[in-house]
Amino acid sequence: MLENFSFRTIVEYLPLFGQGLVTTVWLSALSFVGALIVGIVLCAMNLQRGWLFRAPAKAYIDAVRATPLLAQLYFLYFGLPRLGFVLPELVVGILALSLNSGAYIAEIIRAGILSIPRGQVEASVASGMTYVQRMRLVVLPQAFKVTIPPLLGQAIVLVKDSALLSLISVSELTRAGQLLASDRFMPAEGFLTIAAFYLLLYYGLKGLAGLSSRWLGTAGART
Amino acid sequence: MTKTGLAKTGMIDFRGVNKWFGSLNVLKDITLSVEPREVVVVCGPSGSGKSTLIRCVNGLEAIKNGDLVVDGQRLGDPATNMTQLRTEIGFVFQSFNLYPHKTALENVTLAPIHVRKIPRAEAEKAGRELLAKVGLADKVNAYPAQLSGGQQQRVAIARCLGMRPKIMLFDEPTSALDPEMISEVLDVMVAVAEEGMTMMVVTHEMGFARKVAQRVVFMDAGAIVESGTPDEFFSHPKTDRSRAFLSKILRH
Repeated sequence: MLENFSFRTIVEYLPLFGQGLVTTVWLSALSFVGALIVGIVLCAMNLQRGWLFRAPAKAYIDAVRATPLLAQLYFLYFGLPRLGFVLPELVVGILALSLNSGAYIAEIIRAGILSIPRGQVEASVASGMTYVQRMRLVVLPQAFKVTIPPLLGQAIVLVKDSALLSLISVSELTRAGQLLASDRFMPAEGFLTIAAFYLLLYYGLKGLAGLSSRWLGTAGART
Repeated sequence: MTKTGLAKTGMIDFRGVNKWFGSLNVLKDITLSVEPREVVVVCGPSGSGKSTLIRCVNGLEAIKNGDLVVDGQRLGDPATNMTQLRTEIGFVFQSFNLYPHKTALENVTLAPIHVRKIPRAEAEKAGRELLAKVGLADKVNAYPAQLSGGQQQRVAIARCLGMRPKIMLFDEPTSALDPEMISEVLDVMVAVAEEGMTMMVVTHEMGFARKVAQRVVFMDAGAIVESGTPDEFFSHPKTDRSRAFLSKILRH
């Protein structure tokens, strides 16, 4: 069985995998930045007292979490042009991932902020800080540290979700595997190879998260 | 102390103040005036409303009706700038509530720098002096997690003093402390009182009350039941409820 496994073909296709990997990395990175922006805006809306901002944010988050990413992607890819917005598939892909992940990130940030004990807010209120000052000086620096692990989890999910973009013919990593599978009828080689690359990305992200939490230091460990 | 449009008042003036939590009347028709430089100790059984009482003074809790005038400004009045008023009122919590991501010095200087807009160098100089005053000159760069409860509470007091407040409120400042740490915190509070700070202190530390309080207020079920000098209150309690309370806390 193993004698049929062609390492030579994998090597032959390495440049294609390399290109796919690079595309996956930068489009995921871009999408993650987009998702952070979407998430922060949604979370800020969601933490307001009045329903005017909160209701649409909650509705959006629910809608995204309740529907498959594939359906969202297809809506943007096939649906938007019908409504008059024609965008390149790469842009559609990054948009879909940003809008999707943003909803989850909004909840992660909100949980981080709500995890800060009430006493912290009371202490800063009692010292005469304004809302903006207590967010900037007291709540967010502490919440940020709490959110790093779940944000890393979301980044990993985003990288894996980016595989769906192969379905709208973005030539990322999974697309490279599909090409090997269909050109040479070698699905085992094609998909095992991309699996190895995804694993590599996973460890890369974990290392990055480890560095960032060390950079933030052990200072201010919670009492 | 008076400001235009208001009759002569104390530093803190409760006039017929009521507050409810749902259907529970947690403050019942409270009338109490605290004069400048006066130290008032508030005691009473748990759930009697004593914490709620002092939390109203800096607006951590809102009152339902009646008047509460602090430093000449009426709470709940649209003309009263609460953020501004709070800079004049220090609040010491039972659970310290120091900022865990800041050092002792940064805890003390944060609000002076950002709220009072005092230049950093000046704020840090004052902060070091305050930490020395509460006996923590060697802990300037320590984080709260590296300090004992008593040390944390002393930093918390220094943090309030850094704002140069006119009033200090203490909400059971020693209740979360191990017994051997209580006196180091009380000593600092005595020193603050002796400098002429207007203080309201929720505590059961009768030694502290006898030493510095001009008045002890006893609360039960949301109402002020009795009020008098520490001597009157401890030696000759007037009501059954205060007698029952005192017999419980003094028995041990």
